[in-house]
Amino acid sequence: MTESARYMYAISRNLDAEALAGCHGLAQGQLDVVQHRRLSAVVSTVDLSDYGEEALRRNLERLEWLEETARCHEAVVRTVADHGPVAPLRLATICLDDDAVRKRLDEWYFALDQILDRVAGRAEWSVKAIAPVEPERVPAESAVSAPAVSGAAYLERKRQQTQSKTEAADRAMAAAEKMHSALVDVSVASRRLPSQDPRLSGHQGSMVLNGAYLVDVDGQGRFEETYRSLEGGHPELLLDVRGPWPPYSFAMLEQG
Amino acid sequence: MTDSPDSVPTTRPYAAAVGQYSSRPEPATLADILERVLDKGIIIAGDIRVNLLDIELLTIKIRLLIVSVDKAQEMGIDWWRNDPMLSTSAQGLVEENQQLRERLEALESGESGESGTSTESSTEEGKQERASD
Repeated sequence: MTESARYMYAISRNLDAEALAGCHGLAQGQLDVVQHRRLSAVVSTVDLSDYGEEALRRNLERLEWLEETARCHEAVVRTVADHGPVAPLRLATICLDDDAVRKRLDEWYFALDQILDRVAGRAEWSVKAIAPVEPERVPAESAVSAPAVSGAAYLERKRQQTQSKTEAADRAMAAAEKMHSALVDVSVASRRLPSQDPRLSGHQGSMVLNGAYLVDVDGQGRFEETYRSLEGGHPELLLDVRGPWPPYSFAMLEQG
Repeated sequence: MTDSPDSVPTTRPYAAAVGQYSSRPEPATLADILERVLDKGIIIAGDIRVNLLDIELLTIKIRLLIVSVDKAQEMGIDWWRNDPMLSTSAQGLVEENQQLRERLEALESGESGESGTSTESSTEEGKQERASD
């Protein structure tokens, strides 16, 4: 009675289904590989009662469901990345059957093939720089509770506080720019992503850099040296470096 | 392109990289993962339509959920301080999520003045009413 469909995780090239043994898809589904010419799409069967249009609209609103699905999607993409170049698909790309999957591979063949060329042997690294929240610096004299601070003095103190905050923010931004350009030098492509919402990422302070860098696997050592030296050179910023990621930020179709 | 020693053919074997992704159990934050699986990667229309508006709505909902988390903090519930990675492994987190969602739903349907079975549109009204508070 329940209808099913094929959920697409990623596109790779000449991928052997054997390589995916031990990794499961959504709802513990078996991963299959749909081949078309040189391209391989990694798919699994999902139930339309959970992944139909109506159900998806509902489920995507549930953070718990979304997280589970996103983490599973990501785990499959990572496994594929272990075995060859990978172009991850966006979450919830679903076709009705394998023929429909092949039709997509055929339709986007050249673009996908190019993207796989671009990312082969390369990985994405994420570098975030966070300027910690500055503790309110209270001028020394105010510690001794001065009984009568004139209005002008009060305003002057406020002005100084604001100014020192602005200066600190400017310095952090300038440091972020320098870091980014140093990282660009040791990567083959880069992308600045918007700062993350601290309530979702858990960081405290202001995220002055959220960069994605496409790095040659052979150049990984140089990349790591670079961010370590940046970390040493900028003790005022917290660096959060994560990688290797599958090249999500560099596997995007130019939409016409 | 150039003959610098750094340049390598793009078709070179990938063997050097095998195992590098899955062998590192990296506790990526939910923000990191969502940033990539929702906004990046290959966007091809499948047979099942998921339009971008849905995704936008989703982020609004995440924000709404988190607003209620802020309220929860006032009540002394602060699980995210202990687990900033928002990892699923924390079963407590899932439970908190559940409770918070229920609170959110209760708030939404309560504010809209409708009982129990609130439809999509009444939820929208509820939001607008609150926005104009």
